[in-house]
Amino acid sequence: MATLTPTLTLASTDTGSDELSLSVTDSLNITKAIISPSKVALSTGDLTLFAAASYTKSYVYLKNTDDTIAMDIDFGTQLSIQLAAGEFAFFPWESSGNILAKSASGTPYLEYAIFEA
Amino acid sequence: MATTATISISSPDLMPGSSLSIAANTTLTKAGVTADLTQMETGVISLVSGTEYRLGPLATEMADDAHDIASYLYICNTTTEDATYYIDWGINETMIGRLYAGDWMFIPWNASDDAAEIEIEPQGGTNTIEYAFFNSDFILPTAAA
Repeated sequence: MATLTPTLTLASTDTGSDELSLSVTDSLNITKAIISPSKVALSTGDLTLFAAASYTKSYVYLKNTDDTIAMDIDFGTQLSIQLAAGEFAFFPWESSGNILAKSASGTPYLEYAIFEA
Repeated sequence: MATTATISISSPDLMPGSSLSIAANTTLTKAGVTADLTQMETGVISLVSGTEYRLGPLATEMADDAHDIASYLYICNTTTEDATYYIDWGINETMIGRLYAGDWMFIPWNASDDAAEIEIEPQGGTNTIEYAFFNSDFILPTAAA
């Protein structure tokens, strides 16, 4: 068993007169499969990034490494996440449906990692 | 100035012979432009189990194209209870994952239409969440009367 420590920091001076400075961390036990940070070129057709049948409870990291092109991330058929250039996401996934990825245009690279609890 | 999100993911023992260290940061901007986001809603809510709740606005409660891009959602389940306490989260009746005690998530949310609402359902008992929602143009619902 290994320990994964994800930390998120949100900061803003634009969203109110009180400055936002939020930091949260977690300690996750990882006992099964991992895919350490990897990259894949997307296209405008759906790519099955993670097949639900291959995983159980997991934590997913995604980052759009492109400078201009956006990416869509779908869970089954539901359009859910749009990663604009340079954006990232981190979330728990129960492998209840496939995670699909496609680009708005071209062949931008998606960085991804998955950690199965 | 700007609104920024930074993530680090690390592990000293996940892979034999090497430590894991992921880092990324992004500036949250308005849809399709480089102007900084300026609107945020944040709070702490205790949620009783047995009910599915909507978190954040509907697409029709956001102006112009703000719902298609430039919406960001952070949720943390701050409960300290055991593993029987968790929050199912999903979009449009698609259950995606579970936030156990201390777990958090951050996503750029694509609220393409009203059906793409963020849904959360506490399990096990009362769970408390901390959340923040960033968007360039969310608007208040019209009063019913």
